[in-house]
Amino acid sequence: MRLPIPEHGGGKNTAAVTVALVAALLLPTALTFLFGNDYPVFICCFILIYIIAVSGLDIVFGYSGQISLGHAAFYAMGAYGSGLLVNFLDFPAIPAMLAASILASAIGALLAWPASKLVFHFLSLSTIAFGEIVYQIITHSPDKITGDFIGLRSEFVNLFGYLLDRPGKFYYLALALAALFLLAKTHIVDSKVGRAFLAIRENTHAADGMGINVRKYKIVAFTVSAFYTSFAGGMYMHMVGYASPDTALQKQSVLFLTMLLFGGTGTLPGPIFGVVTVMLLVEALRDFQDYQVFIYGILMLIVIVALPGGLYGASKDIYHRLAARPATADGEGGTSDAA
Amino acid sequence: MLLEARGVTIRFGGLVAVNHADVTIDPGRITGLIGPNGAGKTTFFNCISGVHKIDGGEVVFAGRRIDGLRGFQINEAGISRTYQVINLFRKMNVLDNVMVGMHSRLRQSFWASLFHSPGQHSEERAALAKARGLLKFVGLEGKAGYPAGNLSYGEQRLLEIIRGLASDPKLILLDEPAAGMNSVEKAQLDVLLKRILGTGVTILMIEHDMKLMMGVADYIYVLNYGSILAHGEPAEIQRNPDVIKAYLGGE
Ligand SMILES: Nc1ncnc2c1ncn2[C@@H]1O[C@H](COP(=O)(O)OP(=O)(O)OP(=O)(O)O)[C@@H](O)[C@H]1O
Ligand SMILES: [Mg+2]
Repeated sequence: MRLPIPEHGGGKNTAAVTVALVAALLLPTALTFLFGNDYPVFICCFILIYIIAVSGLDIVFGYSGQISLGHAAFYAMGAYGSGLLVNFLDFPAIPAMLAASILASAIGALLAWPASKLVFHFLSLSTIAFGEIVYQIITHSPDKITGDFIGLRSEFVNLFGYLLDRPGKFYYLALALAALFLLAKTHIVDSKVGRAFLAIRENTHAADGMGINVRKYKIVAFTVSAFYTSFAGGMYMHMVGYASPDTALQKQSVLFLTMLLFGGTGTLPGPIFGVVTVMLLVEALRDFQDYQVFIYGILMLIVIVALPGGLYGASKDIYHRLAARPATADGEGGTSDAA
Repeated sequence: MLLEARGVTIRFGGLVAVNHADVTIDPGRITGLIGPNGAGKTTFFNCISGVHKIDGGEVVFAGRRIDGLRGFQINEAGISRTYQVINLFRKMNVLDNVMVGMHSRLRQSFWASLFHSPGQHSEERAALAKARGLLKFVGLEGKAGYPAGNLSYGEQRLLEIIRGLASDPKLILLDEPAAGMNSVEKAQLDVLLKRILGTGVTILMIEHDMKLMMGVADYIYVLNYGSILAHGEPAEIQRNPDVIKAYLGGE
């Protein structure tokens, strides 16, 4: 007999969240002081942006069990869409990010519509093809409005007259947005919609029998996921003030997937764990830039072979063991508290 | 009558798995469906519950044609089911399995969930309370946090039944609920079926355990090679020479 798994974390989490929040607020000052420049803060901004992007991927892959190998396409659509709206239609940056992500998720819904009928492997192929199409459009645009292979310049975020032109300033906006997106994710997951996603991931046939419109919820998951990742793309555009066509490359999709799998799927902390570790690893291994995809491959292999629940799942196992409870040896690791 | 299947027919290639089956289910009763292995009983369930599209005939439920509807729509219409081969969400915990079963009765929209509106919040709380009540109904309240796949076979059957009841169906289809149960569990099932009936849910049940079937069923249909061979009260069925022959010849 196993011990019952606790259903919800409850009160003791609030203390941990408060500590994390204070640490997060002080981080830029501390890092700039330690390193003498704001490059580490720049990396922190990317971490926050990627947390949103990868949490979005988690909604479609971790929760509803549909693979997408083309999420970079949404990231790029968010970045370029937002940049173009600012450059050509004089949108302020934040409304532009919002509008571009709504547009990108609408395109995501259109893609998911036929794709929701496809089985796993065909879906993954169609998402790869979609990513390729977006890359081609960005690099071969009419009148070179996207800057083609050079990339697109756009403006920094102007928050009520306060220009967020440095990572140290953008950081706090990114932190607030990441918190908002994570909160929204817990709300979605903790509802009829979230349970429908999980039901579909586990057993489509039974989900149908339980009154769940499987196609509808697959499309919903894909659309929400696209919104997250494209919004992250918009943030990237206006944080850096520039977007590179490389963001639409397959490599970027693989990075998102590596972060997700490495951190653990189907949980709130999983993407955070994954993004932070993979980003720090990639930074530490900067001298081996040419081998990045190779490094992702190795990370994925580690997960598949040794950490089926991802880093978060493994750390939870260790925590349980240290807490001297009888080991639950839950093979599924991270997925159990998603339910 | 609650459900009427008229001339329901389905073919798999050359095989006519269900052949012009006429079945009538009256409300407030337990109707049994028996027949030798491979007779087409599960396939008949699949025809009613929208897993298969029928090739002929019609199904009328509570005055409305339901053949041609998809599985999830039939659940919404008020028919839920269990499966011969256990079909739970194994990695989800027991409580969440029941919560998923409530899907078609929860009104909360995506936006209400996203913003965690007060209405959504109170509906979730009510759903949770109802799910716990259902767990208690079959004595699984102590297992709420276990992954469903960790339950014993008999417990998994019970969980499938309450997951089906969670959508407040008018009719529940039970496909061999006693399979894999020990004799104690079977005796409890007998009582449970009557308690379910007491809550106003009509039952259509496939079962190979004749002792259980003859004890609880009000009316029985016998399926053989896809066709209805006989129907009547349990006592009549037990005496029916065609039925006896089918069973002796079939097994
Ligand atoms: N999806 C399918 N495709 C092809 N043939 C099928 C399919 N489903 C069922 N059959 C066939 O239809 C016939 C009836 O099968 P069914 O499972 O309905 O029998 P059953 O009466 O439930 O038997 P049992 O008592 O063993 O559960 C069998 O010959 C089976 O092989
Ligand atoms: Mg059967």
